[in-house]
Amino acid sequence: MSNVGTSVPRTDGPSKVVGTAKYVDDLSMPGMLHGATLRSPVARGILKRIVKDPAFDWTGITFVDATDVPVNVVALIQDDQPVLASHEIRHRYEPLALIACDDALRLARAARHVTFEIEPLPAIFDPRASFERREIVAPPDNVFGRYRITKGDAEAALASCEVVVSGTYSVHHQEQLYIEPQGVIAWFDERGAHVHGSIQCPYYVQKGVKKTFVLTESDVDVVQTVTGGGFGGKEEYPTVISLHALLLAKKSRRPVKMIYDRQEDIEATTKRHPAEIGIVTGCDRDGTLRAISIHVLMDGGAYVTLTPVVLSRGILHAAGAYRWEHVLAEAVAVATNTPPNGAFRGFGAPQTIWAVERHLDKVARQLGMDPLVLKSNNVLRVGDTTATSQTLKESVGIGECIEKARTASDWDRKRALGPVVQGRKARGIGACVFMHGAGFTGSGERRLKGRVALDLLLGGRVRIRTASTDIGQGTETVFSQIAADALGLPMSQVEFLQPSTARVPDSGPTVASRTVMVVGSIVEAAARELKERIDAEQAATGLDRRRAMDALVFRAMGTAEHVYDTPRDLEWDDATYRGDAYPVYGWGCDIAEVEVDLDTFETKVLGFWAAADVGKAIHPTHCKGQIEGGTLQAIGWALHEQIVWKDGAILNGRMTNYIVPTSLDAPPFTTLLVEAPYSRGPGGGAKGIGELPMDGGAPAIAAAIEHATGISMDNLPCLPEDLFERARKGRAA
Amino acid sequence: MIVRLEVNGERRLVDLPPLTRLLDALRGPLGLTGTKEGCGEGECGSCTVLLDGDPVNACLVATAQCEGRSVTTVEGLGALDGRARETGGLSLLQAAFVTEGGAQCGICTPGMLIAAEALLRETVDGANRKPTDTEIREAVAGNICRCTGYQRIVDSIAQAAALRRRVSPADWVRENLPFAKAEGTRGLL
Amino acid sequence: MSLPELSLHGLERPDSLGSVCERLAERAARGEKTVLLAGGTDWFVERHVAPATDGSEAELVLDVSRLPELRGISASGDTLWIGAATTYLELRRHPVVAARVPLLPAMSKDVGAVQIQARGTLGGNLATASPAADGVGALAALDATVHLLSVRGPRSIAISDYFTGYKRSVRAADEVITGFTVQMPGEGSFQYWRKVGTRLAQAISKVALAGVAEVSDGQVTRLGLGMVSVAPTTAFLPTVRALALRRPLDRIADSALDAATQADVSPIDDVRSTGDYRRHVSGALVREFFRTLRSR
Ligand SMILES: Cc1cc2nc3c(=O)[nH]c(=O)nc-3n(C[C@H](O)[C@H](O)[C@H](O)COP(=O)(O)OP(=O)(O)OC[C@H]3O[C@@H](n4cnc5c(N)ncnc54)[C@H](O)[C@@H]3O)c2cc1C
Ligand code: FES
Ligand code: FES
Repeated sequence: MSNVGTSVPRTDGPSKVVGTAKYVDDLSMPGMLHGATLRSPVARGILKRIVKDPAFDWTGITFVDATDVPVNVVALIQDDQPVLASHEIRHRYEPLALIACDDALRLARAARHVTFEIEPLPAIFDPRASFERREIVAPPDNVFGRYRITKGDAEAALASCEVVVSGTYSVHHQEQLYIEPQGVIAWFDERGAHVHGSIQCPYYVQKGVKKTFVLTESDVDVVQTVTGGGFGGKEEYPTVISLHALLLAKKSRRPVKMIYDRQEDIEATTKRHPAEIGIVTGCDRDGTLRAISIHVLMDGGAYVTLTPVVLSRGILHAAGAYRWEHVLAEAVAVATNTPPNGAFRGFGAPQTIWAVERHLDKVARQLGMDPLVLKSNNVLRVGDTTATSQTLKESVGIGECIEKARTASDWDRKRALGPVVQGRKARGIGACVFMHGAGFTGSGERRLKGRVALDLLLGGRVRIRTASTDIGQGTETVFSQIAADALGLPMSQVEFLQPSTARVPDSGPTVASRTVMVVGSIVEAAARELKERIDAEQAATGLDRRRAMDALVFRAMGTAEHVYDTPRDLEWDDATYRGDAYPVYGWGCDIAEVEVDLDTFETKVLGFWAAADVGKAIHPTHCKGQIEGGTLQAIGWALHEQIVWKDGAILNGRMTNYIVPTSLDAPPFTTLLVEAPYSRGPGGGAKGIGELPMDGGAPAIAAAIEHATGISMDNLPCLPEDLFERARKGRAA
Repeated sequence: MIVRLEVNGERRLVDLPPLTRLLDALRGPLGLTGTKEGCGEGECGSCTVLLDGDPVNACLVATAQCEGRSVTTVEGLGALDGRARETGGLSLLQAAFVTEGGAQCGICTPGMLIAAEALLRETVDGANRKPTDTEIREAVAGNICRCTGYQRIVDSIAQAAALRRRVSPADWVRENLPFAKAEGTRGLL
Repeated sequence: MSLPELSLHGLERPDSLGSVCERLAERAARGEKTVLLAGGTDWFVERHVAPATDGSEAELVLDVSRLPELRGISASGDTLWIGAATTYLELRRHPVVAARVPLLPAMSKDVGAVQIQARGTLGGNLATASPAADGVGALAALDATVHLLSVRGPRSIAISDYFTGYKRSVRAADEVITGFTVQMPGEGSFQYWRKVGTRLAQAISKVALAGVAEVSDGQVTRLGLGMVSVAPTTAFLPTVRALALRRPLDRIADSALDAATQADVSPIDDVRSTGDYRRHVSGALVREFFRTLRSR
């Protein structure tokens, strides 16, 4: 019996299509209040006083400010972000106070009767200005993180290379725009604090609650309700909204529900980090790449949150999927007075991959080479070493990815044809080659020690207990497939317990493309252990399988809890940033064909070929769904999405003007799965692919636009207005 | 104001302020939380329901404007098939979303299904023909999905169109969805 | 998320156009605010952005969406009547409109997406008086007549005389838009619609152009143009019209069209686009209109 490798019906599918799946806003509690957040009207300042209008009737309204917060920090990497600002305000949407009421209308009115006296301070929105310390907005020096990678001697090598090319590239903010906004219901009872909500990482929330309310593990239960998308946006932010709801719940002694309005969600929650990247490369005249020097400046926003980790992943991907003898990569992240930037699918890598891919297209142009040939000739293979001097030992399927995408898209013919201009429309084709580290960086997994438990239940059933959440990507189905196969049971006998910190072990966060590859392999190990126990029981007793399983349950032998067995041969040095940055990589080649209107500069994506090496496709349909969904987010980032800022405020925080692609904007996708198995991956070699598809779309689109029009975009986005300006400048020059 | 309307084939009565959004009437007193809210401004389509057969955004319709009219929500799609019991409450269209990858996080799915149902009624039921890919994309263009990239949604709808009126939903669902259970396993609280 | 402030508004369902006018007149005389609710696709969004704050100032809503007098499309001779509460979906589905005024279904297909088309009305589109109104762009190209009614009686005005400024019009507070009449273009006429929006559906126009032309013996004998989102109100492009009307088609130079277009538009920067881009696209669309017309 094999479930792995087949596209079984998704286990949480039926409840989603009939409307019975309960998302947080579908739930309510007796006596529940509605909560709201009152935010700063300025980007930077000192909060002097909060004024509650004395003429307003405040009965029945719970009011919370910083004085009500036991320990006023949002626990994450650094404890710099307050739950509610008490003095210093660092961004335009900083939470200053909270209110709750059982009557939504009174709540809305009360919100209008609170004013803040604030002494404004000069704010910084430009990361360069922050780097130059024109104002210190995050003491001591505005710097949130710094990394440096060296291999060989890049400076010396560049000085002697035949062809040296340099360029500067930049990328912009991006909003996750999950369709279910952030939301939780929270309450206290005799057992402690409870949070139910739309949450990617329940144990992160638990950590935050413990810290702020000075509680222990057993006092806090965080439960993930069915979650309507996250993409990183529900990684760290849910801690903030959970703390807010709990503060109101504590003061009112009632359950409190907080659901963000779409505009509040866009304005106040995290976004993808913008970055500016300078690159100088050296190569031979035949296109053999030799040396690269990279400088990254990333905009962290107002507080540290996850910025150092995002910066780290960014710099680790900055040299692209290529062989370089000499690498120098330096990265800095700084503070600005915008809401903290945070996790978003790709986590820093799409930013730097944009730069290196655009850069290599430029190198190809200067050499007069087909860019895909240049990239393919230099791409990493087994035995090569990466920028961090990691030797790739296995599972490098990039060659096959490139071949498949190239053939399926008819690249050679279309590229050689040059732009096809018909009337006022020009067609072109572009490619991107990329890799994405699967799992945590360096020694992350070793520190984390992810755990999973499997329980036998009476009647021959098995239950998976893990903190890995299904936020749409199909965790529940895939884990069930892995467990069913390892146990030799049909899928219908496997259950997935709703993640709750009181009932599931800490499997680590649902991030970093680690869920299937890392946590899935723990599920597999635990299932194998159970199977051994069942087999032994059968051998010893002669019972049939079902009875043998029941017998184990009766003897309290029915639970197997496993810890991740971190590959021992991985070596990583945090100090030098050298070694095995990731246990393995996902690989991809994206090819986009576009048609650009030469009058209006609108870009229509006619076709998109995405080839990805996933190790092993446990569920091919889900795999393709991940790739297509991630790719469309990347296309949106390139062609439609843009946050419009003014003095730290967002001018387009609504779905009518923050533009993501509709079904008509999305191209038909041809998704090609490549399987170069990873020896430690579950199900016969699966690798992480959650983030990979976010990396290739934008550079492929920009390359296709360049092929069609000759307009070369170094900066994202490529909105019609941007192409128009670029073309106009080109003509003027 | 008392408003009489037909919801998923049943006559219902609600007493609400007249401008209450149809969305809030459905999710509140009518107890149908399958219809979702993603924006409240007509942009995302997750609140799509059929009003007298046409897809509308329930966040932009006043409950009082529905007096005497019929409303179909996602909860009604399987039930209206008339064979709810045999299919586990699923219509073919719903089943296709489960098998073809049309639903990931699922938050856009109820609205998406309703918009697709309107298309299938017009093309397959009304004109006895399958919709083209472009027609499918046009029909769901008012339903934003951030998860799927739409390809598998288009495929799910195309499959449902191909099967509709040709196979029995009950048989098909039994064969293709062995562990279909309409009740979610996660309805805590 | 809900919109609790909506409970502050009262709603009435007048059973005839006459009683709508009476209610409007009474309330206008007392200085009370009243709003007519048709499809609600503008009004609900406006209330989401700016909810009423208290009951006394919340406008009273009169539901006109199902008033028979405001609904329906009918043709008599070459004149087409479109009731104000006609939806985009109805325009898309009407056989006479499809055959004689394909501009209208083409425009309707580009409004929002099907959910908006099923509710949104032409009357609502005009009443909002936004320069971004696609329906009004089409009505401008058709040189439609707007019909208004109040207790003081009916009046009809050319759509080009309707606007007095950004989101302002000649319509008095107690007047209802009852519908539009359009002289249907003759057989063989050229009708053009192109919308350049923020994306291919669910998009507000950055620029859109509606055009109607009849040509006989190489001369332009009827010309109507309506441009969206390039000026404080829907742009009628009078300079372009004057340049081309009753002119031999092959003598209308692109450079002259460009100059005329630029004289007629005054676009601005906003969150959706830039003034420069809009200027550029305005010129391109006008050129495309004439290019396609010439090549027919
Ligand atoms: C998601 C979305 C997408 C959209 N896309 C587009 C688009 O692509 N193009 C576009 O042009 N618009 C678009 N709109 C705006 C809107 O749908 C249109 O303007 C629509 O025509 C408004 O009509 P309605 O009947 O819904 O107006 P309502 O909201 O019912 O009314 C709007 C205003 O008009 C007044 N009014 C209505 N009928 C009359 C009447 N008979 N006499 C006097 N006053 C009246 C009302 O009092 C109110 O002030 C979009 C809106 C949304 C939410
Ligand atoms: S909630 Fe109605 S369209 Fe988004
Ligand atoms: S499945 Fe998540 S938004 Fe569509």
